[in-house]
Amino acid sequence: MKRGPALLITFIVCALFAAFFIYPAGMVVKQAFEGPKGFTLEFFAAVFRNPIYREGLWNSFALGAASTLAALAIAFPLALVGHRYDFIGKPALGVLVLAPMILPPFVGAVGIKQMLGVNGAFNAALIEAGWMDATAPYDWLAEGRFVGIVLMIALNLYPILYMNIAAALSNLDPAMEQAAENLGCPPWKRFFRITLPLAMPGVFAGASIVFIWAFTELGVPLVFDYGRTASVQIFDGLKGLDKNPIPYALTSVLLIVAASVFAISKIVIGRSPLGTAPRPKGRSNSLKLRGIRSLACASLFLGVFLLATIPHIGVVMLSLAERWYGTVVPDQFTARHYIEALGNGLVVPSIQNSLLYAGCATIVALLIGLGVAWVVVRSDLKIRGFLDAVVMLPLAVPGLVMAFGYLALSQDGKPFHFLVGPGGSPFLLLVIAYAIRRLPYVVRSAVAGLQQSNPTLEEAAKSLGATPFRTLRRVGIPLIGANLAAGCILAFAFAMLEVSDSLILAQQAQHFPITKAIYTLLSTLGNGTELAAALGVWAMVFLSTAIMGAAILGGKRGGLFKV
Amino acid sequence: MESIRAASVVKSFGTVRALDEISVDILPGELFFLLGASGCGKTTLLRCIAGLETPTSGSIYFGDRDVTKLAPHKREAAMVFQSYALWPHLTVGQNIAFGLEERKVPRAEIKRRVEEALEMVQLPGFGDRSIDQMSGGQQQRVSLARALVVKPKCLLLDEPLSNLDAQLRVEMRREIRRIVKENGLTGIYVTHDQEEALAMADRMAVLTRGKIGQIGTPEEIYRTPRSAYVAHFIGETNIIEGTAIETRDRFALVSTAAGPIAGRITADDWTPVPGENVRLSIRPEAWRLHKEVGDNPVSGRIVERSYLGQRIQYWIETPIGRQQVVEMNPHVIHEPGDEQITLHSRHDDVVIIKP
Repeated sequence: MKRGPALLITFIVCALFAAFFIYPAGMVVKQAFEGPKGFTLEFFAAVFRNPIYREGLWNSFALGAASTLAALAIAFPLALVGHRYDFIGKPALGVLVLAPMILPPFVGAVGIKQMLGVNGAFNAALIEAGWMDATAPYDWLAEGRFVGIVLMIALNLYPILYMNIAAALSNLDPAMEQAAENLGCPPWKRFFRITLPLAMPGVFAGASIVFIWAFTELGVPLVFDYGRTASVQIFDGLKGLDKNPIPYALTSVLLIVAASVFAISKIVIGRSPLGTAPRPKGRSNSLKLRGIRSLACASLFLGVFLLATIPHIGVVMLSLAERWYGTVVPDQFTARHYIEALGNGLVVPSIQNSLLYAGCATIVALLIGLGVAWVVVRSDLKIRGFLDAVVMLPLAVPGLVMAFGYLALSQDGKPFHFLVGPGGSPFLLLVIAYAIRRLPYVVRSAVAGLQQSNPTLEEAAKSLGATPFRTLRRVGIPLIGANLAAGCILAFAFAMLEVSDSLILAQQAQHFPITKAIYTLLSTLGNGTELAAALGVWAMVFLSTAIMGAAILGGKRGGLFKV
Repeated sequence: MESIRAASVVKSFGTVRALDEISVDILPGELFFLLGASGCGKTTLLRCIAGLETPTSGSIYFGDRDVTKLAPHKREAAMVFQSYALWPHLTVGQNIAFGLEERKVPRAEIKRRVEEALEMVQLPGFGDRSIDQMSGGQQQRVSLARALVVKPKCLLLDEPLSNLDAQLRVEMRREIRRIVKENGLTGIYVTHDQEEALAMADRMAVLTRGKIGQIGTPEEIYRTPRSAYVAHFIGETNIIEGTAIETRDRFALVSTAAGPIAGRITADDWTPVPGENVRLSIRPEAWRLHKEVGDNPVSGRIVERSYLGQRIQYWIETPIGRQQVVEMNPHVIHEPGDEQITLHSRHDDVVIIKP
């Protein structure tokens, strides 16, 4: 790649990031430290002096740590079994365990409440079977709801860890394990001495994303009505944004913790000698299982799938229920909510809005991501490593922080106010926010594709008289088309599911994206919950189609979530 | 048909000088070889000519046109890659048609020329196959057809035969030479295989560490190497240390541990003065074993032999070191032993080079 265009792309991307990423995040931090007389630590100290905020921060941290550990406990055995063994139905089961990703976690929270709540389906089943006293049903989600939130988040996010670990394991040269075997190392010892240390980068990469996600999760605590987390406290503090510096300080704390976790995981991954190892070409050494052992592996995957789809089943049943309280399945089924949803003033526009916002954001992310990937892989610029690191930063910054910064900067008279469209339309704001936050997925998949495609294929086109642009169009892009499509579909799916930006930046009902519409419906009296569930089912259908497409196009499911 | 000229081309990668002031003149219609060990800069030079690398300094000319800064797609220099670089998302026919489409050739003509190209490389009717259905040798020919179909002014080949098995390689040598000559192309061919170069080249350049060791016809390079490196790289040779006694015309008499040996001086710019240290290069087949009398006698004894069918190879211990000797079509086979034998070589076959 020529220097000129490479420098131009680098410059444009850095400028965009400075304006729409560094600036809003920096603004939040600045507000947190700026008193009437310049720099102050007073607000910061105030946050830690206030026992309510202290408890909120602690709860958020505990939520993040517990959810990450729980997700790891689910994901690691799955990834390891999938790596080691060939069993019955493995290809299909490998895709099925990714199912949780098709439901926004806070919608899933509605479903899980229906299933595991005091008057939920599970208790009803136990009572019917005579295993539980009908007058003293057990609260599975626990009084503090903390366990329920952890369970919900872990069940929703373990696929990210699973994909990261699976990718790390499949990137291992099978010869490394075979060499250990050959030198007389028994399988269990081989796991601790070879496999686990080599898979650690994948574990850390996935765990840091899951932690940051869970640590700043807004939707699930809101639905569980669990107000004592920092994210909900910030959300509640939005109303008095002009005068109150506390939300800024609280947001800054989240940012600092998240960024530190990201930096630590980067250092750990960076230390690993695997960073530069080429992709192995050796034959995989997964063992073909037969009979009962094959079924055991399959049922592990199936069990996780069933557990993970409890919320989904809850949502689907709720959307079809005439009335559902204290029974295993609803007394009566009806399609009424779907029909009614179509007539609801929120539902149809919100689907249109989400498709528009997420679609445009994906196109923007694709254009930027493709340019960045090309510079990173095919140019010899010294700063390409820096560029690569910069575009991954959105993974380190909680969506809540960004949403908060955008909101503050788009107020009347502030620099981003011009982005607010006529009638308060958040179109541009959301497209930019979604695009920047989902850019890492597009960049990673494009980079992976380019690294695997041989540069001589492009050189051959040039030597046969194709201009650089034509070379890109006829050879470069088609060769990495599958990777690009996979990255785009993920970016699109996550943009459709986005919670914090959507909840905070969309303010008028006619501009609501799906997630905000669902959230609003949930707090509507009457059959609002059922309508929300119906809309949630629509979203599931959209996203499962999209993600299935990504899984098929992406081939091996690894790589997409690598940090 | 176009001449290609590199003038003082330098290419640095960081602190490494891959090409160090290289100048070559390639004549129109010539099949020119760049030969050298891996890492000598031969592929870098080819890529500079193709426009895939930009020289750090120096210029490249196609005819009278300075193309140093010209983008690769404007050079009309089609390249055949070592890995073939066939596009897996296109069929054989689409791969070949690519260059014609970029040149906006009418559809009907593209179809005709693709078929002609497939026939030329002896793959008629393979147009609809996908690339992964083709064997290595077939892929190599598709890649050649793809480069030739655009009727380039010059054809650049980067070790095109290195992935083929021995027999196919020999077959393809003649094939490539025939196609280059029939189409009147100027061809530049990179290889590390000396036999390939000797068999196919009109002229060749031996590169070493980013510099040109020698340029000449295969015969000149083999018969008249100007340095020990070139003598070693092309064919095998015995190198002997000595001191010049006297020089006359382009011949010199050299004193060695086994007595005086006479030979030819090959460098244009150097003549040893009496007393100067020099080196002698004598090819294994230049030593004769059976002549009772002859020039340059050296005595020794056989320490090892190896029988190779059409020829036999001896290692003979002499005062000037262990000499490798090859005899073609041998009818007497000597066994290693203490028996003294005498080697002779013609003055013409001994090359005197600067140490």
